[in-house]
Amino acid sequence: MENTEKELFSQLAQAVIEGKQEITVALTNELLTLGTEPKRILDEGLMPGMEVVGIRFRDNIIFVPQVLISARAMKSSLAILEPLLSKSDISGAGTIIIGTVKGDIHDIGKNIVAMMLRSSGFKVVDIGIDAKVEKFLLTAEQEGAQILGMSALLTTTMGYMKTVVTRVRDDKLPYKIMVGGAPISRQFAEQIGADGYARNATEAVAMAKKLMEEFKTAS
Amino acid sequence: MNGKDRIARHLNLGISDRTPVMCQLSIGHYFLHSGIDPVEIWFESGAFAEALVNMADRYSFDGVLINLPGRSDVYKNSVKEIQRSHDEIKVIWKNGHYTILPFDDNPHYYTPAGERIFPTFDDIDPEQLYYVEPWDVTEVKFPFFWGFDEHREKSDFFPDYHFDTIRKVKSLAGNRLSVHSEVFSPWSQFLELLNYENALMAIMDDPIKVKVILSQLTEGTIDLAKKQALEGVDAILISSAFAGAGLISRDQYNEFVLPYEKRIISEVRQTSDVPVYTHTCGSIGDRLDLMLETGTRGIDTLDPPPLGTVDLAEAKQFLSGKVFIKGNIDPVNTLLYGSREDIISDVTRRIQTGKPGGGYILSSACSVAPHTPPEHIMLLAELAEQHGKY
Repeated sequence: MENTEKELFSQLAQAVIEGKQEITVALTNELLTLGTEPKRILDEGLMPGMEVVGIRFRDNIIFVPQVLISARAMKSSLAILEPLLSKSDISGAGTIIIGTVKGDIHDIGKNIVAMMLRSSGFKVVDIGIDAKVEKFLLTAEQEGAQILGMSALLTTTMGYMKTVVTRVRDDKLPYKIMVGGAPISRQFAEQIGADGYARNATEAVAMAKKLMEEFKTAS
Repeated sequence: MNGKDRIARHLNLGISDRTPVMCQLSIGHYFLHSGIDPVEIWFESGAFAEALVNMADRYSFDGVLINLPGRSDVYKNSVKEIQRSHDEIKVIWKNGHYTILPFDDNPHYYTPAGERIFPTFDDIDPEQLYYVEPWDVTEVKFPFFWGFDEHREKSDFFPDYHFDTIRKVKSLAGNRLSVHSEVFSPWSQFLELLNYENALMAIMDDPIKVKVILSQLTEGTIDLAKKQALEGVDAILISSAFAGAGLISRDQYNEFVLPYEKRIISEVRQTSDVPVYTHTCGSIGDRLDLMLETGTRGIDTLDPPPLGTVDLAEAKQFLSGKVFIKGNIDPVNTLLYGSREDIISDVTRRIQTGKPGGGYILSSACSVAPHTPPEHIMLLAELAEQHGKY
């Protein structure tokens, strides 16, 4: 049984790496049939697979198309597992509200960051594109989030990030805020008072972990 | 020497009296700064042509890029109502759909439910594709038709009004400005058709079908480019925005971009002397050699870090004598947010790097952002006068 599980975890990780959606779903169901805990399927099959995807993406070994099909495979498996996982299993590393800011309808970068954060144990609530400050704050309150993640592709919309940061600070809300997107720089993030900036999805995971530590220390 | 002659020299890898200047302005910049109503700019060929020429003159550019298709006045018959608020204009159509025109950004067309419509990959029958115009009044459709109901055969696919903006710009300034038209690369059309993410996954799911689709779109692109050449443009830009390393690998570029752009350029060359050049945003520093293989006459944008990966000195050394180059000024950190001193320093350095031997057009990498202060853009021509003399 243990060897079978171990082999299946390995196959599941490989299926995620290769973006094989049907195989990922089949292996997830097979493990559940064997009585494997959903949390172990996540921790020992899906997440190790996505970790490899993240490293290969960071190192320019694979590119966005491969990452997207891996994310799709993982998402299909998570759709089966999530109803079976406890709340703490899902939000183990923390809860992040992520969205593309008001006026901006671009979401590839945001989706990849969301997927990488999920595969690193965060609960990610994706509020989509064209997201206003009220949506960020309402969702954050409902979900008990610790971090807000904002994305923008346009120079016309990046300024809206400051609106969200200002509102969070003015209302003395505890959330840590991280930003990213093609026109965003570290300097811009500092100017608007964000807590963190990430140049890509891999950096976003590291930054989210850092901000979670800061959040815990502050509270 | 006027702008038309100045740019012509550099398109042919020569020198002129001074470094030419020509930037692509974002649509939002025209909305904010041209003094012409956004509804007219977006929906009317004549108004857009006037905006292009007026702004080129205001910034002392040597050329203009016509980056919207010509429009038919028939759109007016489909308007139900136009609502204006402090930050956007909403054009409600008789079919219940609507277009939102922000005052500072590209408009988009929505269903009554507030959604944009894209076909799925499975929906696509490649045989029914020819050209996808993302900036049509009603954006992408499958099978594609123009506006609200104008279905056309492949043998006569591009309506005559499609070329009206070119004609108008040429009549306004064709004798003194270099007039460039735009076609979308098959790869860009494919990504726009499926809304990026699904297109990128499709190349992993069914690369053979994707290649058939790209081949079909190549035929329409060749047709359009040849027709633009017949209108007398001075150059044709292939807009290939999504072909950088931010999205796809070199191998994927080799497979899904290069052969199709190569064919377009080769076909246009067989019937016309009009130079065809390539605009690819973002990180292209790792694939300049592949872009050369397409047979392109020039490479546009050359985004510098942090937006892209191109060092102008390295690119100049590699590309000099092979193709003309255009771009490399950071449109965000320099032109939009930089101080006057930052701009003078950055732009002067680029002129000094790009100018030697010619074949260099001073330009922003990618388009000038909507809120870029006009006085920042005016500095480009001033600096070209000061430091760009041959």
